[in-house]
Amino acid sequence: MSKNQINHGEHGAKRISRRRLSVSSVVNTLLLSVSLVQPAHAADNVAALLKQADAFRLPAESVRVETLVELYKNDALDKERLYTVYVKPGRRSLVLMKSPSEIGQKVLMLADQFWLLMPESQRPLRITASQKLLGEASTGDIANMTWSEDYDGKIVGEVDCPLPPAVLPELAAPARARRCLHLDLAQARVGVTYARVELYLEKANKIPVKADLYVGSGKRAKEAWYAPKSVEGQPRIMTMLLLDDIQPNRRTVIRYRSIVAKEAPDEFFNPAALVRNSLSGW
Amino acid sequence: MRLRDFTAGAAFALALPASAAEFNASLIVAPQVLTDNRASPYTVGPPTVPAHNRDSRQDLELRLREGGFNAQGTLRWQAAQGAKPEQHGISNQFYYDGELGGGVGYSVGKKVMSWGVGYGFRPLDIVQRENRRGVNLPALVGLPLLAVENFSAEEAWTLAWVRPGEGGGTDDSHDSSLAFHWYRLAGADDLHAVARLSHRRGIEAGAGFTRVIGEEWSFHGAALYQRDYRKTLSTLAESGGLFAAADPRAEFVRHNGVKAVAGAQWTGESGWSLLAEGWYDADAYSRAEWQRLDDLTARQRALAGLVPDSAIAGNVAWSSQAYLATNLLRENLMLRLAYDDRDGFKPYAELLTTPKDGGRVFTLGAAYEGNRQRVSFGLRQLGGAADSAYARAPIRRLLWADWRLAMF
Repeated sequence: MSKNQINHGEHGAKRISRRRLSVSSVVNTLLLSVSLVQPAHAADNVAALLKQADAFRLPAESVRVETLVELYKNDALDKERLYTVYVKPGRRSLVLMKSPSEIGQKVLMLADQFWLLMPESQRPLRITASQKLLGEASTGDIANMTWSEDYDGKIVGEVDCPLPPAVLPELAAPARARRCLHLDLAQARVGVTYARVELYLEKANKIPVKADLYVGSGKRAKEAWYAPKSVEGQPRIMTMLLLDDIQPNRRTVIRYRSIVAKEAPDEFFNPAALVRNSLSGW
Repeated sequence: MRLRDFTAGAAFALALPASAAEFNASLIVAPQVLTDNRASPYTVGPPTVPAHNRDSRQDLELRLREGGFNAQGTLRWQAAQGAKPEQHGISNQFYYDGELGGGVGYSVGKKVMSWGVGYGFRPLDIVQRENRRGVNLPALVGLPLLAVENFSAEEAWTLAWVRPGEGGGTDDSHDSSLAFHWYRLAGADDLHAVARLSHRRGIEAGAGFTRVIGEEWSFHGAALYQRDYRKTLSTLAESGGLFAAADPRAEFVRHNGVKAVAGAQWTGESGWSLLAEGWYDADAYSRAEWQRLDDLTARQRALAGLVPDSAIAGNVAWSSQAYLATNLLRENLMLRLAYDDRDGFKPYAELLTTPKDGGRVFTLGAAYEGNRQRVSFGLRQLGGAADSAYARAPIRRLLWADWRLAMF
């Protein structure tokens, strides 16, 4: 299981992924239909919806994700960054910076606790959630690929799906109008990157379409758009577009080049182990 | 020796299959300009002390990772005003990280090993004694060591034999030692404990923590006890005498020394951050030791015209070596205000004060990071109360820049 490739067609992982999706699809459809008439169960329904939406972004619990981040300024490509992200259950993520200008930097996230390793000092530095937000491409945007573990909320209603901006070919507006579920999510734990998320899921299949991301002060920081792509016959979110409200001339495109099921050993997620080169080959 | 190490590392890098290795190269150009403090009693000009007020360091930094192998080397070309340019190679790191299974690993080779807690000063850095207050510093050079490490999900320890086989060296970085670091992640706290046994310092032991509170605050603290600590003082200032024909500085051994740091940092979602930190360093001079050195220098200067200028200049130059210390006084307070515009631009302002004598160091700096380039620059101004160590330093101002190109 741990070495199967979700998007490269190794059979075990594909079978598990499909089974999980099909079961959760049925369960969530039932839960959703109940939710519209029984508000008391709204929280349960939202949790189930979020799990279903998460599966389009993170198709296994333990993965290695190769990510290319493109930073645009005034519509021109300004910077490119490469990251390898290891995700494990329990809200654990390890981000390895791979671009020549950042090589050797690492960010470790254990639930609401964060550490940064700069290669110059070879010393893991404990950082706060606010410090995690700093930098050009927030590591929170790169490493946090699920909502279900971090947010609670409610279904606000059913609306026409918002139409994407015409800046990415992958985000071309669909030929026919789609209906979306509009969810209003609040952070359920400390340390999450965004305190509030307004999420739009396509009603028919629960694929994430758009999210408005709000910081702790209540200000909207970013607008995220999700572009699905068929991988091994399954729809997956392989591109995310972030439009920055604070710096409107900037936009960030996050491309997930590969998502591979990998279960790195627990000791790699020890802050003191960041100085070691143990992840070579993982 | 350093060139030989570097050549061995380069040969190793070339021998590896290119497809398997991670190889990076950066070009660094780091010029700086110093302004003399003409009013300082410690300022000594040529010919006793050459005027190298302008210099520039050009480094080609190479890094290689392949499996557990790590190599980092620097090819340096350095030019200074009034001096012949020089070039040499440096082996910064060359080590292997191996795994023995069950969370146990080992390291062997020349490696940077930093264990400290703190920003301006790290008492727990008992292996890699890093100058945290310098600007425009080149990459760290590791120490030869053998280490065994154990990692679990929340705990880790390292036992390192540093400079194995060597005896007591002339300074801490050349002193053979056995060092231990323990780390535990305990909820919102990072807990550290260290111990070191060495020829020069005997037993050293300390502990530290970092605690995060909420999303914006972090607090840290650390303290180190030293059975023996050493301080280089002028025998003329400490024991009497006026002039010496040879360097009168000597190392004095003291007992029961303490190094400690405590600080707090706030970072807001706006990108602003504020750091306040205070530290105590028993290795540094006390106010009284500076006063004795100041008195000696004043008495030497007062004899101008009566004794040869070269004797005065030579003796003052020896005394001025006290300014090479990382901390000029034992007690230090630092405030640092920084901003991150999330677009690569990071300016900061920093004030260091020495409350015992009213000294101040003010630093303004900024860094900008592009796709492959990083530029940083800044200005550091020394001053404060007229009789403070910083106000009497031979250097008044330092202007620096650092351009770094990540080639691949």
